[in-house]
Amino acid sequence: MVIKLVETAVLLYSGYLFTHKALPYLYVLVGRKLGFDMKLAPHWKNRIKRFKTIKRGYYSFLIVTTLFVMSLFLEFMVNNKPLFIRYGGRISFPAAAEWGDKLLFFKTQRSMDRKSDFGQAGDDSVDYRLFAAARRDPAVFDSQIKALEAEIGDIRSQLAMAKPGRGATSEELQDYQDLREIIPDIESDIRSVAGAREMFAAGKAAILMPIYPYSPREHLLDMPGRPPHKPGRNNLLGTDDAGTDVFAQLVYGFRISMSFALIVSVLGYIIGIIVGGVMGYFGGWVDILIQRFIEIWSSVPFLFMLIIIASIIQPTFLLLVSLIVVLQGWVGISYYIRGEFYREKARDYVHAAVAMGASEWSVMMKHILPNSLVPLVTFAPFNVVGTIGSLVSLDYLGFGLPVGTPSWGALLDQGMKYLKYYPHLILTPSIAMAVTLFMVVMIGEAVREAFDPKVFSRLR
Amino acid sequence: MHGMTTYFIRRLLLIPVTFIAITFLVYAVLRVVPGGPIEQAQLQIKMAMMGEGGSSGLASEQAELQIPESAMAELKKYYHLDKSIPEGYARWLWGILRLDFGRSYVYSEPVLDVIISKFPVSIYFGLIGYFASWLICVPLGVTKAIRHKSGYDTATSVLVFLGYSIPGFVACLILMVLLGGGSYLDIFPLGGFRSENWAELGFFARISDQLHHTAIPVLGYVMGGFATMTILMKNSLLDNLGADYVRTAFAKGLSENRVIFVHAMRNSLIPLTVGIGHALGLLFAGSFLIEKTCNIPGMGLLSFNSVIQRDYPVILGTLVFLVLIRLTGNIFSDVIWALIDPRIRFGK
Repeated sequence: MVIKLVETAVLLYSGYLFTHKALPYLYVLVGRKLGFDMKLAPHWKNRIKRFKTIKRGYYSFLIVTTLFVMSLFLEFMVNNKPLFIRYGGRISFPAAAEWGDKLLFFKTQRSMDRKSDFGQAGDDSVDYRLFAAARRDPAVFDSQIKALEAEIGDIRSQLAMAKPGRGATSEELQDYQDLREIIPDIESDIRSVAGAREMFAAGKAAILMPIYPYSPREHLLDMPGRPPHKPGRNNLLGTDDAGTDVFAQLVYGFRISMSFALIVSVLGYIIGIIVGGVMGYFGGWVDILIQRFIEIWSSVPFLFMLIIIASIIQPTFLLLVSLIVVLQGWVGISYYIRGEFYREKARDYVHAAVAMGASEWSVMMKHILPNSLVPLVTFAPFNVVGTIGSLVSLDYLGFGLPVGTPSWGALLDQGMKYLKYYPHLILTPSIAMAVTLFMVVMIGEAVREAFDPKVFSRLR
Repeated sequence: MHGMTTYFIRRLLLIPVTFIAITFLVYAVLRVVPGGPIEQAQLQIKMAMMGEGGSSGLASEQAELQIPESAMAELKKYYHLDKSIPEGYARWLWGILRLDFGRSYVYSEPVLDVIISKFPVSIYFGLIGYFASWLICVPLGVTKAIRHKSGYDTATSVLVFLGYSIPGFVACLILMVLLGGGSYLDIFPLGGFRSENWAELGFFARISDQLHHTAIPVLGYVMGGFATMTILMKNSLLDNLGADYVRTAFAKGLSENRVIFVHAMRNSLIPLTVGIGHALGLLFAGSFLIEKTCNIPGMGLLSFNSVIQRDYPVILGTLVFLVLIRLTGNIFSDVIWALIDPRIRFGK
């Protein structure tokens, strides 16, 4: 237990070092190699300095970014597949293989994950946790062998009871024969388990499990009792009604929610900047036409439309992203940008750029946009909060990501069914969501205060 | 004022355009996709025939799986699906104009009756929620502004940000777990509008029962706008406290309370009225997340269920109300805003 805590602390600290020391260093290094200056403008330096003085926001920023970058490597931390496994002469890295599969989804790699890879009968997937337990204590095999032997004994006694007499039908004879033929199968199982025991005893097997050895997609049906399970020693936060570990779902849900929100925000920003920029820069008829269109568009009941569409086609991650972006994501931003562009285009530097023959696109994106970034940056955290809220609501209503995707909203939906007896199904995702969004809001608050300070003067 | 009148007239004229654009979009989507009333009727007929076929043998079962062409045509005619999409839409729109919303497939009642029967529940929760949020957010925002940057301000800010990060329906769920019996306290019921034995209760028992059912959903409604409203109140009061007229009032020697609550407060409340349009929408249409979570039979739950059950006339009917309320609500709140704040000039 203590060891696990220390391991977790080390992991978190190295995650912090990686995110906030190594990554920025690499970023600057690569930038310099590519010939960029990689120095911040002084006013941006000042803003960042001011942001760092707002401790609650700055620490929330460190925590959220660290956790998010770490969550990109969740397969190595929360998984039912080992980081490393050695059996006989063979070595394999199943967790890395799974991570690679998700990264390069177009090609699948093969790792040691079938029973046949370990000289055992059958082609089922291996229970690595059992493997790890056996590594610690080979007595696991003894009890397995004992159970198999007991099974043989059981079948033998059944055979003795059911020995067909002379008047037996052909069906009875067939059953008897079938039963007898099971025995050699079990005997070969015993031999393979015994073989595995020898391998383990000779030190030819090794395994390194992730720190939390459960996956958000496996069903733990061998546990005593019926799912959902309450929080316990092994499954820190219990399981849901399909026997899937709740903690694993929460952390993978964090990754999905955050990446979903980030992708939606970025895409929404791109569309919003283009539309708003065109409106503000060109003004006149273009502006009026697009304004009317936006007025109509933003009166579409957003959640209602999403539900209608999602009830017709089962949305995937990408489809849901594009739906939310197209229906809602770009509208708010485009208004901000429109206002900024309206103001900025009258400035002298814009006239200068136009006079020097810069194209309209380059005036908009290279000259005006960098001067209109402040509202975009301050708006971003709140955008993330809103998007995560939408995703959780959709998942909760059952019209979100495909069934089986680890998600907070789906857990909440389940929790509602077991409201009275399994409160952890509601409380854990709510707390995960509240804490995450709270920290993001703190970041947003601090960014707003640092980038766009508002001083209230007041008598007395 | 002249410019503003034309501005509002222009916006009113835009309502029909917007309305037609949205409803046509939804109508077309609903017509194109599978799983509509014909498919459901087919399924029902098949099920019924399968039941009979079990007794009369295998041959007839297979024969009856085909629904005759004439019956299909009749079904389509009944649901107006034999027309092209534009023609069907025009017929539907014509019906709406004469307040004929069609019949619900599920309830077998006129859609308008179904919707109107759900209105009171949504209005009840919406109104209480709206007033409750004023009662909570205004005092909180005012005290926060007066004690800006004090310990009290920081502590309540945490509360406000927490409120911002927990959606209303999640708050309802948490409260139902904590206070709804089961694992922890048993104070409030798990959703519903009233108890089942409402009719047998005495007068006071009825009131208490209704209040018990009201508490959690209303808290969910309040949570929805809690953070924005409180911060808006605080910032707008702070803005006003820094204004010249407040300095003048202080200089005249007025007491602090008088300056804050009589002079500054009046102007600070103006931005809060912008939310009225949005609140109107909530009032009539409910929030389907909260209505589903707390199992309240209002407009929100009705529209949600109609989507699940593919009850097209009801989907379109609730959409009509939703869109109209939203469009008029926005204009309404702008009108109010312009009326109470002479500095506001739209359309310039």
